[in-house]
Amino acid sequence: MEIGDLTIKDIASRVKRNEISANEVAKFYIEQIHMKDPLINAFLYVDEDGVIKRAKELDNLKNKKGLLFGVPIAIKDNMNVKGLQATAGSKILRGYIAPYDATVVQKIKDEGGIIIGKTNLDEFAMGSSTENSAFFPTRNPLNVEYVPGGSSGGSASAVSAGLSKAGLGSDTGGSVRQPAAFCGVVGMKPTYGRVSRYGLIAFGSSLDVIGPLTKTVEDSAVMLNVIAGFDAKDETTAKVEKEDFTDSLGKEIRGLKVGVIKEIADFNVQSEIMQSLKVSYSKLEQLGAEIIEVSLPHLKYALPTYYIVAPSEASANLARFDGVRYGLEGEGENIKEFYEDSRTKGFGSEVKRRILIGTFALSAGYYDAYYVKAAKVRRAIEGDFESAFSKVSSIILPTTPTTPFKFGEKKSPLDMYMSDIFTIPVSLAGLPAISVPIGKDNKGFRVGIQLIAKWFDEATLLRVAYALENY
Amino acid sequence: MYKPTIGLEIHVQLSTKSKIFCGCSTEFAQEPNTQVCPVCIGLPGVLPVLNEKVVEYGTKLAVALNMTINKYSNFYRKNYFYPDLPKGYQITQYSIPLGSEGFLEIHGNIGNQKVRILRGHIEEDSGKSMHSGDITESEFSFIDFNRSGIPLMEIVTYPDMETPDQAYEFLVLLRSIVRYLGVSSGDMEKGAMRCDVNVSVSKDNTMGTKVEIKNLNSFKSVKKALEYEIARQIEVLEKGERIVQETRHFDEHDGTTKPMRTKEELNDYRYFPEPDIPPLSISDEYVASIKREIPELPHKKEERLISEFGISKDYSRSISYSQKLAEYFEDVVSFAGHPKEVSNFLMVNVVAFMNDKGVEIDEVNFDKHKFKELLDLIDQKVISGNIAKEVIDESLVSGKSPKQIVEEKGLTQITDEDAIKNAVLEAINENPTPLNQYLGGKKQVYGFFVGVVMKKTKNKANPDLLNKILMEELNKLSS
Amino acid sequence: MIDLEKIEALSALKLKGEEKEKIIKDLEEIIEYFEILKEVDTEGLEPLIYTKGIALSLREDKVTESLDIKYIERNRKLFGNNLFRVKRIIGE
Repeated sequence: MEIGDLTIKDIASRVKRNEISANEVAKFYIEQIHMKDPLINAFLYVDEDGVIKRAKELDNLKNKKGLLFGVPIAIKDNMNVKGLQATAGSKILRGYIAPYDATVVQKIKDEGGIIIGKTNLDEFAMGSSTENSAFFPTRNPLNVEYVPGGSSGGSASAVSAGLSKAGLGSDTGGSVRQPAAFCGVVGMKPTYGRVSRYGLIAFGSSLDVIGPLTKTVEDSAVMLNVIAGFDAKDETTAKVEKEDFTDSLGKEIRGLKVGVIKEIADFNVQSEIMQSLKVSYSKLEQLGAEIIEVSLPHLKYALPTYYIVAPSEASANLARFDGVRYGLEGEGENIKEFYEDSRTKGFGSEVKRRILIGTFALSAGYYDAYYVKAAKVRRAIEGDFESAFSKVSSIILPTTPTTPFKFGEKKSPLDMYMSDIFTIPVSLAGLPAISVPIGKDNKGFRVGIQLIAKWFDEATLLRVAYALENY
Repeated sequence: MYKPTIGLEIHVQLSTKSKIFCGCSTEFAQEPNTQVCPVCIGLPGVLPVLNEKVVEYGTKLAVALNMTINKYSNFYRKNYFYPDLPKGYQITQYSIPLGSEGFLEIHGNIGNQKVRILRGHIEEDSGKSMHSGDITESEFSFIDFNRSGIPLMEIVTYPDMETPDQAYEFLVLLRSIVRYLGVSSGDMEKGAMRCDVNVSVSKDNTMGTKVEIKNLNSFKSVKKALEYEIARQIEVLEKGERIVQETRHFDEHDGTTKPMRTKEELNDYRYFPEPDIPPLSISDEYVASIKREIPELPHKKEERLISEFGISKDYSRSISYSQKLAEYFEDVVSFAGHPKEVSNFLMVNVVAFMNDKGVEIDEVNFDKHKFKELLDLIDQKVISGNIAKEVIDESLVSGKSPKQIVEEKGLTQITDEDAIKNAVLEAINENPTPLNQYLGGKKQVYGFFVGVVMKKTKNKANPDLLNKILMEELNKLSS
Repeated sequence: MIDLEKIEALSALKLKGEEKEKIIKDLEEIIEYFEILKEVDTEGLEPLIYTKGIALSLREDKVTESLDIKYIERNRKLFGNNLFRVKRIIGE
């Protein structure tokens, strides 16, 4: 069996048993990157020397332990890895070197993982195609004329193309699940509060969740085992019992109630996706699950709600990029000109657009009509899910309304925003969700089917996802 | 008649060891940018974590100021760009502060006055910007972020004060309270207490226009700025002109207030709930436990010392406003009694010595045993009150005990009636003119004879005996 | 309806030329799209800021080590006594 086909568990246990060396694994993936990445452009930075050094250190350890021992992990470039760049895909942070490790990165290191490099993304995670990267677009490994989705397009395509065993992405409105669907891999957004955000460059603080991109649901569960947990550095992490998320994998789903959403009919969904969705329903039923229709009446309000809440938070989160302490330094006769020049040169159009929307939504005279209104609609959306989850233990719906599109195809921002129409409601409610590749479209792309579970019930989420994946 | 209306906004630095949202040290006057970390310097990816001591100190202060502690309070982001504000927003409490609706009763020379407090909220401080030379002319400014993230509690009063003296009083009392509570050093010079004032002047019950004054670096500046500003506003109104609603800057050098340079300032802070910090909930039990920790506060102590010991109002206030002095006073009195005498010696002799040497009461070498010795010497009529002052002054300097001083200097009081009588007779015989005046009915000449006798006895005559004998002898002559 | 000058100034951005025109058009379109929210009856609903299961926990008042100045200097040159330097601040 080739290294690339092994699961995370396989690699870790073989390296720990000295059946293969961490160095061999690392060299294999670096080789893959050399071969394939010039076309795909998944990585912004590959830490070759660091990877080899780290692999050798692991091999020299007498006491080899850790869930990710010797496993290479790609990190989206909006997370801090000490000593490496952290650009968030923006010119304003070109050359910025992180002085500390994000909590998730620390945890990966603690479990023996190897940070292989930093992956491309839409600038500050704002986008759904990775075209908004200030550096270059990433291509979809399944067909390089198409976008890999975004904003975690780099990590998704790296995993899809076998350039890394697993990757971390961040998901604010679908940025892990949507590229996972586009690249045909598994992408999970855990419950908001399950994984520490410390060290993740913030976009929408009340929505941002770090999640794994992997080849399989099992790998996803292993990754969640590593990154989950209360963090004293993040006030918004929840104090919940530690659990082993691989425990629920393979448990039968007989008797579980799975919700299908009545309002799906109101949306324009590509026929092959509807087809895959129906196939999924029948698979679940054959496995003994009960399919029940649930209603999310506020579903169609999720998108405008999100595009008020996330930009509002972003407008403040991105205020620190002012050129004073780090990042691109503009010019100007006085501080005001300096700020404006630094930021206008440093940010791309989409980021500027969202900063302006957010500033507008928070400004005097508009705050109640936009920000507060959206926060209230968000409560209504949460309420929809609450009542749905009083009837079912998981919900199934498409990850995206379409399979991948071509570069430059989405002309207006609103068109682009529509690709997150099914992932955004889940983010607004803070629920855990996973995208699993099921079926194919006529171009050969996989279709991503999304499962959602109750708050902090990733166990059920993974259990159903695993059953569907392995049907 | 013009009536000024004054409100205060005071920032109190809470004296925690670490900053409000990170573990950086709060120590004062360190090398620039050595007490900073990714959090307080606003690096990408960091998150704030609230310091429990900030909540404790803030609650303590709010309770001491009679505020209601809100069961839930929340944090907001206040957005504006400034180089010393690393995140581009300040984390502060906004819609629901830690404490609301309190009051503080000030009493000084101007009588009692209840000053209502609108709110008390916790927030982070910004860094410090420095300019070489004139702020408008220097090409660059320089920033030190050591202060960024220092915890503050902002106290906002209602505009319940009418005179600069009241504002001064309020601040002096507040400083004393924060020191009693141990929640702040209260040192305005070190920026641990900062104050902005709002002042308007109204005539005939019409609302005045509010002017804010900033850059007040001492309590005296507050008073001076208010005095100047009130006079200025009255002058403007007298000329039939209007007061401009604005922020003015106090110039310490010439004691005037000047309008701050106003560009078209955009004042739209876009406050919104801080998503990184869930609401702060405070239980009744917590508030109750904080209440139990609050000591008797200076203004209460002031009242008690008067009613319990009958000491003068002025002395009671001076003693009470300093926790150390008050502790010393009560300690001495419980050991040696004589509260009036103790307050007198303490304020006249000991405090004068402290001020002269620039030392605190706990550095003064005059403990309760020496105090008792001194008071016993008076009680036993070994020395008079006047001599006692001499003795305590000497003791403060040399550290010798009162007894030793009295012995070494031969200051023992004369209680021998014959000796005093001799001196009295001498005084009478040597001063025939005053004697005739006295006998002629000019009774105030009596004091002259007392003075002469004291001089003859080198102040050592027992005053009671002196009076008795002098009166007897004079009565003999007038009958 | 949107005072772009003010919003730009508050955002510390200064748009120019084509980008400016494009962004104005986009913003108008997007804000127009928000109108749909008016349909939702939000009477009596509390704004949702924090999702479920999140509660504040406080940090002990303990001093931790500061960031080594070399990490700051790696990203920005400091002046004089390790100070950040900025263009003059006009006004206050």
